[in-house]
Amino acid sequence: MGGRLSRLRAVAANTFRETVRERVLYNLVFFAILMTLSGLLLGQLSIRQDEKIIKDIGLAAMDLFGLLIAVFIGVGLVSKEIERRSLYPLLAKPITRGEFYLGKFAGLVFTLLVNLAVMTAGLYLTLLATGRRLDPGLLAAVYPIFLGLVLVVAFAMLFSTLTSSALASIFTVGVVVAGRFTDVVRNMREVAPGVPSWLVETLYLALPNFRNFDFKDRVAYGDPVSPSILAWATVYGAAYVAVVLALGLASFRSRDFQ
Amino acid sequence: MTWRLALLLALLGPVIPWSQSRIDRRAGAFRSQEEVLYLWSGTQVKRLFPGFEGLLADIYWLRTVQYFGGQRLFAREKRFELLRPLIEISTELDPRLEIAYRYGAIFLSEAPPAGAGRPREGIEVLEKGTRHLPSSWRLRQDLGFFQFIYLHDAQGAAKTLEEAARIPGAAFWLRTMAADLLAKGGERASSRRMWQQMYDQGEEGIIKENARVRLQILDSRDAADRLAALVKEVEDRTGRRPQRLAELREGGLWAGPLADAAGVPFGYDVSTGRVTIALESPMWRPE
Repeated sequence: MGGRLSRLRAVAANTFRETVRERVLYNLVFFAILMTLSGLLLGQLSIRQDEKIIKDIGLAAMDLFGLLIAVFIGVGLVSKEIERRSLYPLLAKPITRGEFYLGKFAGLVFTLLVNLAVMTAGLYLTLLATGRRLDPGLLAAVYPIFLGLVLVVAFAMLFSTLTSSALASIFTVGVVVAGRFTDVVRNMREVAPGVPSWLVETLYLALPNFRNFDFKDRVAYGDPVSPSILAWATVYGAAYVAVVLALGLASFRSRDFQ
Repeated sequence: MTWRLALLLALLGPVIPWSQSRIDRRAGAFRSQEEVLYLWSGTQVKRLFPGFEGLLADIYWLRTVQYFGGQRLFAREKRFELLRPLIEISTELDPRLEIAYRYGAIFLSEAPPAGAGRPREGIEVLEKGTRHLPSSWRLRQDLGFFQFIYLHDAQGAAKTLEEAARIPGAAFWLRTMAADLLAKGGERASSRRMWQQMYDQGEEGIIKENARVRLQILDSRDAADRLAALVKEVEDRTGRRPQRLAELREGGLWAGPLADAAGVPFGYDVSTGRVTIALESPMWRPE
């Protein structure tokens, strides 16, 4: 067990180092911080909405750029190793496919965690620079954003085991967009009454509901987010991530790399 | 090779600001941008960017403020035709954006050139605001004020102010102001009280500035009325109507300025004895 964990940790640490070296990551983080800082300027133009605008921009930057990092680095985690043929010598070593796959996942999740921490610090610094209160409530929006990004990484990795990087990116973005439209799915019968209700309900429950991880608006207005809803979002996210990871792992295990 | 590149940069770099200044000189210092709204409904925008409604509401609100400012200050023909759709999109994206209802209503209601001159639309915006934010007494107070000031609907305004007074945390004077409106109807004094309240409550910015100008307009109208009364008094006493307002001052009857709060001389119609705020004055508004 200890050996398995240390191998997994080694893959994760290596993935973290690898992703940190990616130029795309630096670009995205740079733009995210730039976007957060732009809140300083835009807030001035908004007529008494500066604090809300700084928070909105900062949280949206975390969500959007985190999503881009999760998708574009996530789909490359496994597929790059296959394309570069660096996977073969790795799998010849005493490391299982499961350890490799989960290690890759954990490495990118850690990268996203570090990125979110940097962006959150940037947002707090921006608020501090404008003489605003350091609102700890912001973390009630940052944490669910992180949960959502973890799920995106799981999907990106699942698709990357099934198809090419380009298609995997498109599918992952498609799932995220569909997951943000779950309310439309639920109300589908209003526009198409012929659709059976069981189908609507199944679709609604099966699609990952990314709205469950979106508390940005509430937090920007200083509304409290109850710990119970955050706990349920965690349960939902963890369960979904586990299912998608299991599917990805099954797909990765079944692939023939001969 | 490097020195050639450096030379090229040194030669061509200054051309950019130089040519820009030439373009600006030909196009006028402030070129109003070609304003187009590609999406006319907040629902469409929401559907395009799920999960980013708050940010988009901010962006549309910023665009509203910039559009209004740009039209008011720089446009030759002040049309404000995109103002209402921009406010609608901002508030559909974020129905809790109170500032958009309050400022949006002012932008729409103020008479040109200060605003779009469409007070009914301003009131509709405030009504929408009160539906989305039923616990905001300020929005309901603004609605009452606008009903009285722009529509001269004392009954409706009093009813709205009564409703505002019932909201927890509402200002204590709302109820008395509602009663005053019902008792005195469309007096200028009620108007003055409303603008004074807006001025006292408002933080530095457009609402406060607008209220300040409105109070100055009322002062100017009061001064014009007093001057007209003096003209009538002189005419009744001497049988001759003054030919110039300055005669009142020369006769020691009027010690104040003969101009409105903006420094523009009052208009004086010798044939009727009417004293008015001059049309060209920034203090002029339709009565």
